[in-house]
Amino acid sequence: MYKLKLNPTSLSFLPILIFIPICINLINNIHFGGINLISEFILSAFMPKINISILITVFNRLNETVLMAISSWFFSIIFGIILGILSSNILYEILDLPIIFGKLIKIILTLIRSINEIIWGLLLMQIYGINISVGIISICIPYIAINAKVINEQLDIIDRKIIESILKINGNKLSSLLTLIWNPLLETIRNFGFYRLECALRSTTILGLFGLGGIGTSIYLSFKALSFRELWTYLWSLGLLLIIFKFIFKFNVIKRVNFKVSFFTCLVLFTLSICSLFYFFEFLLAPSYAIKYSINNLYLLRKDFISYNFLKLIFETILLSISASAIAISLPPFLSIVLINKFWRYFVSGLSFFFRLIPPPITILILLMFNEPSISLAALSLGIYNASIINKLLTKNLNYVELDQVIALDAIGAKKRISWLYGLFSKQAKSYLIYCLYRTDILIRDTALVGIIGSIGLGWQLQESISSFAWEEVSIILLSYSLIVIIGELINDKIKKNLI
Amino acid sequence: MSQVLLDLKKISFCTQNDYILKNIDLSINHGDKIALLGKSGSGKTTLISILNGTIEPSQGSYRIFNKQFRDLTKEEKISIGTVWQDLRLIEDFSAEQNVNCGLLGKESFIFAINNLLNICSFQEAHRYMQICKLNKSIFDKNIKNISGGQRQRIAIARAIIQEPNILFADEPFNNLDPKITIYLKDLLLNGKFINKFKKPKTIIVSLHRLDLLDGFNRVLGIRNGQIIFNLRKENLKTYHLKKIY
Repeated sequence: MYKLKLNPTSLSFLPILIFIPICINLINNIHFGGINLISEFILSAFMPKINISILITVFNRLNETVLMAISSWFFSIIFGIILGILSSNILYEILDLPIIFGKLIKIILTLIRSINEIIWGLLLMQIYGINISVGIISICIPYIAINAKVINEQLDIIDRKIIESILKINGNKLSSLLTLIWNPLLETIRNFGFYRLECALRSTTILGLFGLGGIGTSIYLSFKALSFRELWTYLWSLGLLLIIFKFIFKFNVIKRVNFKVSFFTCLVLFTLSICSLFYFFEFLLAPSYAIKYSINNLYLLRKDFISYNFLKLIFETILLSISASAIAISLPPFLSIVLINKFWRYFVSGLSFFFRLIPPPITILILLMFNEPSISLAALSLGIYNASIINKLLTKNLNYVELDQVIALDAIGAKKRISWLYGLFSKQAKSYLIYCLYRTDILIRDTALVGIIGSIGLGWQLQESISSFAWEEVSIILLSYSLIVIIGELINDKIKKNLI
Repeated sequence: MSQVLLDLKKISFCTQNDYILKNIDLSINHGDKIALLGKSGSGKTTLISILNGTIEPSQGSYRIFNKQFRDLTKEEKISIGTVWQDLRLIEDFSAEQNVNCGLLGKESFIFAINNLLNICSFQEAHRYMQICKLNKSIFDKNIKNISGGQRQRIAIARAIIQEPNILFADEPFNNLDPKITIYLKDLLLNGKFINKFKKPKTIIVSLHRLDLLDGFNRVLGIRNGQIIFNLRKENLKTYHLKKIY
């Protein structure tokens, strides 16, 4: 009797089955009203609008985007480092302090992290109005918590034996701490910090779609006006900006700068960030009618509060998370094995760059041109966006896999697809799945985003509640969101541990 | 009469299923130079880990400087150095930065920052690296890029730069060629060849090579977590060794 045995390779492919119900649903909901618009949208990609006035707009909007992204990235890195150290076990072990403080900080950071920057943006925008500081703060809040988590994880895996050997020298406690954490910190910033800048750019763009300025606002307005050629000018310029940033990461400036210079630069920047912190606090605590109104109403629960089907919305959000995760995990290896030859591989790479460029809310708006709003549609747009990011990593990692097994398989006459599957993919399927699980954590947070645009799940209801200043509803929805995200993270952590 | 420096009474150490050390009674005097012999897995590393305070025994009492380990002053702790079997060097540091880590006990916090930034004086580190016969060309090399024997000598340099009164060394001569091994052994035991080198007064070294026993005044034999013999070196006979190997 055969017994089904799952391994990382098969687990990477199996979720592709989600396409069966999704496709059935999409076919049932199809309409052809927007086919002309779609063809116009695709053709416009090759003929973006270029004139002086639009170039000036692009320049100004990109300036705003870069300013917001770099500021929020910088503050989130600095305060992420501080909170990452404060929540790490090694600090409390070396300084002989009660670890409960670290655990408390970790719990608070988990709660903050579970709410997407766009939701923070919508909330703060409703209270403080449209302001560049709102954009920076709303990106900073979850990003600080995310950076703190990553740094904290890296500090907590410092080899115990090294810690013991340094502690046995019996130096000043701060000296020992600094000696132990310095390099893991620098490595984390080198490997992860610059990636966060790219994320900050994307988040700033998406916040722009909701009216906070920058290139995102231009993208949204041109889409609304159906000026696709103008829209593509903005999208391509955003793509160019991302490529420039990527080039800077590759150049890896931090490695080339003199150590003394970089240290003193860090000191100056740190002082600057502390000063800015005061400004942001002053901004947040400034008296506002909206805040007073909100606080007064927060605990006045209306009797008709549960008038909407709350459980249905939670169920939709969970279903959306699972479906989008399944697409994101399985699509890259599936396409790689189906489209195995070089031409198609380049085609898939180009396509994934294309989808990384278009923010998920725009993807869902495009898909809505020929389909009714549904969970399948939202899952498809969120899944494809994340699949394109995962595909980039998969392609990069496959280039580093040693070819010995492929050569051995070729030698026994195995077909190209089998060689790829057994010789290449299976070798790094485990690390692929682990990265996918990390990505899934982010994806669950992003369900709010497509929910707002695609009229699905808690995201949609959240925007409705924020717009009508129904803060009691907002707080309950946010709590539910946090719970879904935290439970998702716990499940993912469990799977990751099993995989490792 | 020699003064007792370390005193172990009925020391046992066990993991969930197994005893690694069983009922060890041991006194070590000031100025003792002890060779610790035994097969792999006999409990030598665990004994050294208890002696340097890394792990606490499951049973029994351990006193050093006539105190419990946790009651030692900072100065007393600084006077204990260790060469670890697995070296425990910091992978991302250069050789000289690693050696300077041995000074963390004596130096200030500013020194620690400067060492990280590679902007502190490495004069002392270089002196000790030269004492350990390390070539100048590897001083600023990353620890990842140097050979096993060189790493071994860096670990020894890190321990002796601390100028400890008591040195615990767990198989410190692994990966070293015979000439360097003899040189370093004589250096640690007698401070031979080098001026201005403060050799440790008391030293406990775990060994596998019997030809290196010259210079030690006592030999401890350990098997299955128990001390089988504890003799003056000149009283060691072949049948003693047969009991532990």
